[in-house]
Amino acid sequence: MTYLLIKALHLAAVITWIGGMLVLSLLLTSLSPTAGARSRDETRLINRARAWDGRVTTPAMLLVWILGLVMALDAKWFAAPWLWVKLIIVVMLSAVHGIQSGTLRRLANNRPQTPPAFLRFAAPLILAAITVIAILAIAKPL
Amino acid sequence: MAGEEVDWRQAERTQLRRLRLVSLLEGMTLIVLICLAVPLKHLAGYPAATAIVGPIHGVAFLIYLWMVISTVSSGDWPRGEIVRLIVVAFIPFGAFMNMRLLQRREDALVVAPAPAGERRS
Repeated sequence: MTYLLIKALHLAAVITWIGGMLVLSLLLTSLSPTAGARSRDETRLINRARAWDGRVTTPAMLLVWILGLVMALDAKWFAAPWLWVKLIIVVMLSAVHGIQSGTLRRLANNRPQTPPAFLRFAAPLILAAITVIAILAIAKPL
Repeated sequence: MAGEEVDWRQAERTQLRRLRLVSLLEGMTLIVLICLAVPLKHLAGYPAATAIVGPIHGVAFLIYLWMVISTVSSGDWPRGEIVRLIVVAFIPFGAFMNMRLLQRREDALVVAPAPAGERRS
C-alpha cells in the first residue's frame, strides 16, 4: 500500500513537472527576446510563468527525485541497468529545466536574452525523453 | 528604468544567496557522508549510516547542480567560474571555496548610491 501510494505521488509529480516544462518550452520560443519589443500582456505572462515555475514545477521536480529515490532504494533497483539509463535521462531533463528556468528569470528581469538555440527543440526532446523513461520504468527491458 | 536596473540586480542577488545556501547544504552533507557515515560503516560495522546519509547527499547534490545551471543561465558567467562551481561539489570542503566567489559576485551587483550632488531632493 505504501509503495503504491509513493508510486502514485511520484507519477502525479512527474505529470506536473513535465507539464510545466512543456509550457515553458512553448513560452520561451514564442516571446520577443528584447524587453523593448515586449507587450504588457507578454510581461504579465512571463511573471506568471515564473511564479508557476518557482511554486509548482520546481517543487514537483524535487518531489520526483525524492520519491523516485525512495522507490528505487525500497525495491533495490540500483543494480538494474534500466534504472541507470533512466537516471541519466532524468538528470538531463533536470538540466534542461534549469536552463529554461534561468532563461525565464533573465527575461523576467528585462535583460536582453537570446535563449540557447537548443531550447527551440526542447518540447520534442522532452516528449522523446519521457517516452523512453515510461518504456524503461514499465517494461524494464534492460 | 533605474528602478528596473535595481530590480534585476536584487533578483540576481537573491538567486546568488540561495545558491550559497544550497552550496553550504551540499558541502555539509558531503562532509557528514565522508567524515562520519563512511567511517561508521567501515570501522564500526554500521552500514545504515551510509544508507541514510548517502541518499540525502544525493538529493542535495542534485539540487545544487540544478541551482548552478539555473543561476548561470540567467547571468553572464565566464566558463572558468561555471566549471569551478561544478568541480567544487565533488571536493570535500569545496563548498567553502564557493562562498568567496558567490559573495564577490553578489557584492558586484550592489548598486553604489549616487553622489549627494546628483541626488534629487
